[in-house]
Amino acid sequence: MSKRNDRSRELKEFMQEPDDGLIICRCEEVTKGEIRKAVHEGMFTLTEIRRFLRSGMGLCQGQTCGNLVKRIVAKELGVSPLELEPAPSRAPMRPIEMKVLGNERREE
Amino acid sequence: MTRYDLMIIGAGPAGLSAAIEAAACGLKVIVFDENAKPGGQLFKQIHKFFGSKEHKAKIRGYQIGEELLKEANENGVEVVLNATVAGLYQDKEITVTIDQEIRHYKGDAVIVATGASENMVPFEGWTLPGVIGAGAAQTMMNLHGVRPGNKVLMLGSGNVGLVVSFQLLQAGCEVVALVDAAPKVGGYGVHAAKVARCGVPFYLSHTIIKAEGTDRVTGVTIGEVDKNWQVIKGSSKHFEADTICLAVGLSPMSQLTKMAGCAMKDTPTGYVPVCDETGATSIPGIFAAGDVSGIEEASSAMIEGRIAGISAAEYLGFATREKQEERVKELKEALVSLREGMFAPENRGKTVEKTDEGIDVSLNLLKKGYVADSEISRFPGVTRGKGIHPVIECTQNIPCNPCQDSCPRKCILVGNKITALPIFQEEKGCTGCGLCVSSCSGQAIFLINEELEPGFASITMPYEFLPLPEPGDMGAGLDRSGAEVCEAVVIEVKSKKAYDRTSLLTIKVPVDMAMKARFFRRQEVEA
Amino acid sequence: MRITEHPVLGTMEEKKTITFTYDGTPITGYEGEPIAIALEAAGIMIHRYTKKNHEPRGIFCAIGRCTDCVMVVDGKPNVRTCITPLKEGMDVRTQYGVGTKENG
Repeated sequence: MSKRNDRSRELKEFMQEPDDGLIICRCEEVTKGEIRKAVHEGMFTLTEIRRFLRSGMGLCQGQTCGNLVKRIVAKELGVSPLELEPAPSRAPMRPIEMKVLGNERREE
Repeated sequence: MTRYDLMIIGAGPAGLSAAIEAAACGLKVIVFDENAKPGGQLFKQIHKFFGSKEHKAKIRGYQIGEELLKEANENGVEVVLNATVAGLYQDKEITVTIDQEIRHYKGDAVIVATGASENMVPFEGWTLPGVIGAGAAQTMMNLHGVRPGNKVLMLGSGNVGLVVSFQLLQAGCEVVALVDAAPKVGGYGVHAAKVARCGVPFYLSHTIIKAEGTDRVTGVTIGEVDKNWQVIKGSSKHFEADTICLAVGLSPMSQLTKMAGCAMKDTPTGYVPVCDETGATSIPGIFAAGDVSGIEEASSAMIEGRIAGISAAEYLGFATREKQEERVKELKEALVSLREGMFAPENRGKTVEKTDEGIDVSLNLLKKGYVADSEISRFPGVTRGKGIHPVIECTQNIPCNPCQDSCPRKCILVGNKITALPIFQEEKGCTGCGLCVSSCSGQAIFLINEELEPGFASITMPYEFLPLPEPGDMGAGLDRSGAEVCEAVVIEVKSKKAYDRTSLLTIKVPVDMAMKARFFRRQEVEA
Repeated sequence: MRITEHPVLGTMEEKKTITFTYDGTPITGYEGEPIAIALEAAGIMIHRYTKKNHEPRGIFCAIGRCTDCVMVVDGKPNVRTCITPLKEGMDVRTQYGVGTKENG
């Protein structure tokens, strides 16, 4: 079975760490502790973390925190960050106003 | 929908090079860039590049940018700025945000050259105004002419951290410390040495504990880390600073290739599309070039761009297979030479203890940023002799040889292997013209004359700071660590066009300082 | 904080000085330079206060990626000031959460 989505894995008991209050996602103000806790609550993939906490879903779309979140989740799961499935990439790649997104140029 | 033969995403060194190469084969090429200006990060690079002639060595980054733009123009490449590619799809269609609307473009081939983004590292207070990326510092001072701060602490000793530290000094900022959690300097020793001799202290095996301040950075606390990256109790040091610069690596911006469905792989240096040696991804007709397919120097990105450009031309039938193979072979050779030496991709994370010549690498350089007096004489470019001659303080095997080409009398020999340490051939007869001093991208060549006059020696050094000292100015000779070691007087200042903005400063020092003093600090004149 | 003479880049290009307002106070900057650069040159570092923790933020990446430098410009929130060119008479305001102080 793929280690990536192994739901049966046992994690060590959640223990608070002194730097749990550090902001990781600067846009949505999500802390390291919140991310660690979410892993212990069963969010084992980056996509789940993202949906649960909104980390990486703010204005910058995870430009800054993407790698940081990945490292924290991997450490909690006890795996290498390289083993985690990266979060999906979807258009639009940059923040864009709805009125622009809806303003698609028609065929001439 | 507008159709093009080739669409390129990103107008940096890789994208522009790819465009030039493909357009020269007759392709109709369009390049999109989200920024207001083309050139990617080249226009922020004000230092001279490494490599050899074919890699545009000893030319400053922004000048390379200007050359590329001119060449792209001449080849009829269309560059669209302020154009953010929002999506890339399998059938080589892209959506681009331009002027408040989404436009669709279709191409028969696509080259993704989106470059990289900066990594960041969290610590207490890292969200305070005044904590910035090293790229931000470069943008502010080199593009817009504004100092990012007065007292700056740099985190990261890779080439970016070292180069930006030097640029901060050139812009008139004080760099209070250069800090890195790694136990040794990550970037080129020559970059470190030019920062260290200005007096910037290096703190390897140190990390930022806290950025201080409530509304903005007012200070920094750093601490020493042990082998497990844990801060050692009682090791903290405080610095007054208004700016903290983060230079902790880059990550490929490969989201578009993933979105298109290209096969991807996760590597220790980033998440990248799987490419063959021509830059072709798993989707026929989609290529990747430059940092997006793996972080390297801009010099490599330009060659990768050209390889992808000619390969896209071949893919679309604009170039024969033979022509493409021949061109790729010649470009590969240039690329291979850039990837040799101690900083080669395969040496990442390894400790290289000896040079190719079998000489022990300077440990002080790796720990403190400068070669110790006791170590310097073991390197082949460092010789003592009669009259004026170059002392080449090049101590690591890096791909660079402009010094060899610069000397009209062929006094300096690197040889065919571009990473070899240069040697001085005394018999050729140095005239002291100084072209080697200004040509060295690492500012590691000095002209020494230990027979200037009884008891005194002259030292000629590269100097890129303002105000430029004048003959007769009194001051101090600084050693490689930036400590004042003697009195010095300026005897000559030369600024020639051929030196390309590197002035040659000659100082007179006591003869026993000839092999020690490597920088000059002017005495503050009381008004 | 402006650099007038640079050892490599030479004398900085003369640009047109214009007036804009920062939180209602008139200040000057160069036409066409990013708003954030004009603010930096004027010594202004706080661009916004965050929504949850009301913490100050300023320039971070300076190339339009991180979105930390957003402000309310001419009434429009979330404007990336590091890549938005400065124009005469612009109304630039500190952003609180996702709006101005009054309606953030």
